[in-house]
Amino acid sequence: MSRSGKRLRENEEELCTLTDLAEGGRGIIVKTQGGFGLVRRLAEMGLTPSTEVKLLKKGSFGGPVEVEVRGVTLALGHGVASKVLVKPLKDEGNG
Amino acid sequence: MARRLRVALAGNANVGKSVIFNQLTGLNQVIGNWPGKTVEKAEGTLHFKGYTIRVIDLPGTYSLSAFSIEEIVSREYIAIEKPDVIINVVDASALERNLYFTLQLLELEAPVVMALNQVDFAAKKGIRINVEKLSEILGIPVVPTVAITGSGINELLTTVVALASGEIKPKPLKIRFGAEVEKRVQKLQKLVEKRLPRMCAIYPARWIAIKLLEKDEDVASKVKNYAGGTEALEYAEKQAAELEKMHGEQSPVILASERYSIASKIAKEVTVTITPPRISLEQKLDTITTHKILGYPILIGILLATFSLIFIGGGFLSSFLETVVSDVSTHIEALLAFLPQEVVKPLVNGVFGGIVAGITIALPYIVPFYIILALLEDSGYLPRAAFLMDNFMHKMGLHGKAFIPLVLGYGCSVPACIGCRIMETERERLIAAFVVTLVPCAARTVVILGLVGRYVGLHAALALYIFDLALVFVLGRIAFKVLPGEPVGLIMEMPPYKRPLVKNVLAKTWSRTKDFVCVAFPIIVAGSLTITILDATGFIGYIVAGARPIISGWLGLPKVAGVPLIFGVLRKELALILLSELVPLETLSAAQMIVFALVTMLYIPCIATIAALLREFGLKKAAVITIVNVTFALFFGGLVYRLLLLFTT
Repeated sequence: MSRSGKRLRENEEELCTLTDLAEGGRGIIVKTQGGFGLVRRLAEMGLTPSTEVKLLKKGSFGGPVEVEVRGVTLALGHGVASKVLVKPLKDEGNG
Repeated sequence: MARRLRVALAGNANVGKSVIFNQLTGLNQVIGNWPGKTVEKAEGTLHFKGYTIRVIDLPGTYSLSAFSIEEIVSREYIAIEKPDVIINVVDASALERNLYFTLQLLELEAPVVMALNQVDFAAKKGIRINVEKLSEILGIPVVPTVAITGSGINELLTTVVALASGEIKPKPLKIRFGAEVEKRVQKLQKLVEKRLPRMCAIYPARWIAIKLLEKDEDVASKVKNYAGGTEALEYAEKQAAELEKMHGEQSPVILASERYSIASKIAKEVTVTITPPRISLEQKLDTITTHKILGYPILIGILLATFSLIFIGGGFLSSFLETVVSDVSTHIEALLAFLPQEVVKPLVNGVFGGIVAGITIALPYIVPFYIILALLEDSGYLPRAAFLMDNFMHKMGLHGKAFIPLVLGYGCSVPACIGCRIMETERERLIAAFVVTLVPCAARTVVILGLVGRYVGLHAALALYIFDLALVFVLGRIAFKVLPGEPVGLIMEMPPYKRPLVKNVLAKTWSRTKDFVCVAFPIIVAGSLTITILDATGFIGYIVAGARPIISGWLGLPKVAGVPLIFGVLRKELALILLSELVPLETLSAAQMIVFALVTMLYIPCIATIAALLREFGLKKAAVITIVNVTFALFFGGLVYRLLLLFTT
């Protein structure tokens, strides 16, 4: 179920999932994976491709994460967050 | 004669929409359900400048797609009922995300007035918005408000009336997507206009076209019902597939991106960020309450405080009301003394038994619960609790938000069932409610502790609780697997903490209590009356005799135990009281006590809970949950009895 920790290579650029970002780390959304409903929901909440996200907080025991996107704070379940592929922005923690 | 206006409030959750609603209508409001839906519907009326204005508070949603029932309810209301004005309540501190919703209102070609709310809070965060420019770009009136203080409300109403009377002529922004998307929307719109003229009389043609391109399942199923619908649908599918191939994304993601880029552009144009925000008290509070370690003791503390408040307050109210109500019923019995007693007694007992149960059991716990719920809702703590418990709740096939009704279930199943509304989809609501009915409420705790805890030992009582928790996990998972539909993970906004307003909390409590009394009381009274009539006519005897193979044969209980189990439906602690009247409790074996408590813990939640389930899910689902509960209670009762016999002999 969970894809956390798994790195994916695409076009020579290193991508990771949202859960791989460190607290305080930023990334640009490249793609959201998963079922139709989930992908649509994430897009509606503002998590669309090429949007910048900031990981604010990780819950304990592999729990949900808190992210900031478009000036709003969202909580995403671990399974949900691991479906969001991001390109980490440099000079900030990514993993 | 007063002219009438219908106004709907629409917007995201957590933007102060309900505060504006309360400012507009005061206590003059009714909370109920949308017909056939588990969605709260709040309505109220007010008088302004010779107008009688009926206000409907649409559910707070982030979009107007077909994701949740709330979203469908909202857009159907806007499209079909065509209210005179829609007040779009917008959070000034999160303009971009809120504009995403506004753009969809404009797609629906609704007459919109924007209430730019929480401008004070936005200013605190260093955000200033150019209201005139925003209004100019969107082509709709925009009124800045601070709902909490009531500032701007009068101007908002003046604008609403001006728009409705045609004094203001808005020129709503014509949304144009990127070339590839726009081209397809327009082609599709032409086809829709030509092929679906009757549907276009209800919904705007462009909106239908956009929704078809977005593969909106609700609109697609409506289109199918019209002649020529299939052709439009096939064409839309082809266009969507082309777009998807081009972008490598699902078409709803492409359209959401388009809308967001428009929203983002507008927000940037009208927003000035003055100072970088410094860390506020609210942010500190947020850091502590969602902290990896510290968050949990705080959560436990808040839950314990909630429970003790509900129990101490509720227990006090309950015993107070009990004396009052029993006095009243003695008087009524005396008044009716001239009538034949064999008729009067069961009627009085039945009707009053029901009302007494409602007043003394349900209400005293529900009112304090509603107050605390409103406080937790309005302060913004609930999402924090859900955040902390998300991982744990996934183990039973639900997500973090379900933690709240589950915990409430240990107090009383009734508010817990109603609390399942916080889940997004009907599927999640149903799983949560099912799980909640299996959680031992306070009344069941009385039976477990009063019988097993007292006579067998606390370890046995504890074992029952652990067994129950295990069962909740297993059955929750099974329900998760069995029920159709895509499971939804946690995607939840974490609104900033806010100080709850007394006025708002009381208004919510009042209207929710009113709603509960109107719906649950008649059902409780009817149920109670049925049982007492069965008793008075001697039918209970037949039922007990008929149930004997189950009660004595399978469960190994004394045959009279059937009576308390049947009456336990009225109120669970009554099961223990009646049992003690029928058999000296000491004469029961440990195994019998454990089985009796186990069955009481699991079988149909009391009549008030059934009423709540009916209210929330309708007859069929309420019946299924009830039957499943009874079946499991009997199955495990007999099984445990046999296992205990094996170990003790």
